[in-house]
Amino acid sequence: MHELKEQDALKENVLELKGEMSLLNVLLLRTTELAAIEKTLTEKLEKAGQLLNRSPIIVDCSTVVDQLAELDFAGLKQTLTQLGLVPVGLRQVPENLEEQVQQSGWAILRGGKAIAQVPVETEAAPQITPQSDSEPMPSRLMLLERPVRSGQQVYFPHGDIVVMQQTSAGSELLAGGSVHVYGTLRGRVLAGIQGDTMARIFCQRLEAELIAIAGRYKLLDELDASLKGQAVMVYLDDDKLKIVPI
Amino acid sequence: MSRIVVVTSGKGGVGKTTTSAAFATGLAQKGFKTAVIDFDVGLRNLDLIMGCERRVVYDLINVISGEANIHQALIKDKRVENLFILPASQTRDKDALTQEGVEAVINSLKEDGFDFIVCDSPAGIERGAALAMYFADDAIIVTNPEVSSVRDSDRILGLLQSRTRKAERGEQVREHLLITRYSPNRVASGDMLAMEDILEILAVPLIGVIPESGSVLQASNSGVPVIMDKNSTAGQAYDDFVKRFLGETVPHRFLEVEKKGFFKRLFGG
Repeated sequence: MHELKEQDALKENVLELKGEMSLLNVLLLRTTELAAIEKTLTEKLEKAGQLLNRSPIIVDCSTVVDQLAELDFAGLKQTLTQLGLVPVGLRQVPENLEEQVQQSGWAILRGGKAIAQVPVETEAAPQITPQSDSEPMPSRLMLLERPVRSGQQVYFPHGDIVVMQQTSAGSELLAGGSVHVYGTLRGRVLAGIQGDTMARIFCQRLEAELIAIAGRYKLLDELDASLKGQAVMVYLDDDKLKIVPI
Repeated sequence: MSRIVVVTSGKGGVGKTTTSAAFATGLAQKGFKTAVIDFDVGLRNLDLIMGCERRVVYDLINVISGEANIHQALIKDKRVENLFILPASQTRDKDALTQEGVEAVINSLKEDGFDFIVCDSPAGIERGAALAMYFADDAIIVTNPEVSSVRDSDRILGLLQSRTRKAERGEQVREHLLITRYSPNRVASGDMLAMEDILEILAVPLIGVIPESGSVLQASNSGVPVIMDKNSTAGQAYDDFVKRFLGETVPHRFLEVEKKGFFKRLFGG
């Protein structure tokens, strides 16, 4: 009896189902020709370098709805996988094609710009593999010495982002680890984007539009007015965002 | 060695073309051989402000598509020595611009020994604006003292750091902030952003502040770049700005509210 209870308790801990804001790249199709998609995407990925490697991706069909029946869904999935992406699902699929899409192994996502709850094929956090002496460990720090401007997005899933100056309204910092801003923080900032709940955000002056750690977020409007313009630290305390002056 | 300067802002109607005309005229007045190119294909304006709209035969797109050579298209200014205008096409759109074409035009201007090539960017961040800034060595970012203009300038600064040839080579485009339509009275009353606030948000070196002035509109309508109006505050401020661009140290003017005289105070004014 006692044993059984323990097992039950254990079972409770095996998993937790949560709705969370995840960051995903979206591939907006403008054609249904697989060869053209592959060619263009290969070029784009080459430019992006390691940025998009192994990153989950959603395919948006809204602009090709009319010709969507012509798309080889299974082929598209295969192409994306071969290019090193992790296909998550299709969105904006018309009802009559849903069955066909599902049979080809795709998930169908409901529409909307910011998809909130999607079955993400989560990756294990990047392992630190022992390196030989000749190969130095890749840096876990991204240092930015110039202001981060409106419309710029800095994505660094492998560690911390340090900005020596300000960030502007309309900019976005996305870090796997923590974020430090030695100036005014005005844009959006998301730390611990791969789920690191220990990640923290530090800034000299808080004017941010949105702050998030490991998917828990707060908007500027929700911030305590007394904290605005202050030097603060943001951290997760028992699943809640805490902002304290420093 | 030619220096390529883009005049850009993101937002429309802030004074890019007025600035391009004044700037190019100012450089030429100081003895530099200067060409100013209108990149606003489809919405040709620079020729009006420069007062040469009746002399346009060939334009930038004709040169890019090989229908004319650069010497046929360049319009020599009648008032100022060393000043040449390359107008945009009014009948085409920005898709007619190609990177190779723009590069060829700029290269032929360089070969012709131009000291400065001023690129008057269209509003927006699309093809026309992107190509106007791509080859730039310097950028004049034109901003009005209001939040949306400042935000758009910030966006443009980001693009200058990533979508230019200099950026691709790991170098930096020199950035200069020019605040236009500045009205100290309206700053004092809180209607407009103060210069200090704009500088704090954008964090870019300031090269000039042009006061709001009726003479700008008047100059545009009569096709005379406002810098030639030595009596207007805007004309003088543009002249200061050109001097600063050329390395002189000139104090900023027209930043304070004008003191009202006794009679104005007495009777209102």
